[in-house]
Amino acid sequence: MPGAVSPVRGRPEPAADGAGTAAVLVAADEPVFPGHYPGFPIFPGVCVVEHVHLTALATLPKPGLRLAAIESTRFLSPVFPGDRLEVELAWQEKDGAWRCRAVAGTARGQAAAVRLRFTEETEEGEL
Amino acid sequence: MITVAGIKRVLPHRYPMLLVDRVDDLVPGERLTARKAVTANEPWYQDLPEGADDREHAYPSVLLVESWCQAAGVLAAWDLPNPDVLTGQVMLFGGIADVVFHHPVLPGDVLVHHVRLVRSFSDTVIFEGEAAVDGRTVLEIGRVVMAMRPATELTAEQPAVSTKEIG
Amino acid sequence: MSNVVLDMDELRTTVADVLDVDESELTDEADFVNEVGVDSLMAMEVMVVLERKYGVTLGEEELKQVTCLKKAHDLLADKLGLA
Repeated sequence: MPGAVSPVRGRPEPAADGAGTAAVLVAADEPVFPGHYPGFPIFPGVCVVEHVHLTALATLPKPGLRLAAIESTRFLSPVFPGDRLEVELAWQEKDGAWRCRAVAGTARGQAAAVRLRFTEETEEGEL
Repeated sequence: MITVAGIKRVLPHRYPMLLVDRVDDLVPGERLTARKAVTANEPWYQDLPEGADDREHAYPSVLLVESWCQAAGVLAAWDLPNPDVLTGQVMLFGGIADVVFHHPVLPGDVLVHHVRLVRSFSDTVIFEGEAAVDGRTVLEIGRVVMAMRPATELTAEQPAVSTKEIG
Repeated sequence: MSNVVLDMDELRTTVADVLDVDESELTDEADFVNEVGVDSLMAMEVMVVLERKYGVTLGEEELKQVTCLKKAHDLLADKLGLA
């Protein structure tokens, strides 16, 4: 299933009320930190996008959707080891494609604004 | 051609997040071609359950983007190498736009990144391009914005551990 | 005279998409940074997108003066010889 292979080990936990929010602790032993960067660990921006992606996969509006595009992402502030990352996202359907608009933040404020597009598993996705 | 040792003089990224293996062609200030070999032995495959099929071995989409951006980072940094993040300027990822994933990338594939400089300003560079495997485009990058900022902007952000938190 | 049509609403749609804001927020005079809440990096990115969409090249200084939709329109109109 998609999202099996991921650069992040901690997985976001969707809130019980299904309001499209999820949270994850960015643990100090996440595999990316030793190399990003040695002696100066910063959670890679694409890993913040990955947490939005995983949260989206955990709250799909319909089964069988896969990530087709990152429409836009703005990185607003850095995320560090030990931060609790909260993801808040909303789904929207428009002309057949599903769009997921999300904000990810830490106690210090917004970390990233992300807009993803998902589509049905098409034959293009085959090997 | 720039070998991995040369790349390390320009990028601060190291294992397991150094996702560019070689630069094949570089025209400073214009464009660059670089490659990254994808293997099943990367740390991201460690937790994959036994019996996973080929589709489940697809390289993480966000790391395809990270790999491409690191290639763009070499083009951006070729004029101002700064492997030491703590002292000089650091290249911050400003934003990405219109990135499209066309086909999954699997272990054994060699990703070839094509990076083109769209505009460069005093402290900001904008790139576009694509990545291909065996000549087939697997990833399209509409726009990546990178900003050179004093490294202190990052260190100043570091959360001060107040005694209250330790107590 | 260039044959490019510089339509304000099309400009609004393009800019709103790049800034990732609703078109309703993007009045002609709304300041990108102070009122629409966009950072200077994004304001610059908007102009690069417009440069390529309308086939014009702007200097870095010219580009930095564009802080709202109307200024973007006027600068493009000037560059396209439509002013």
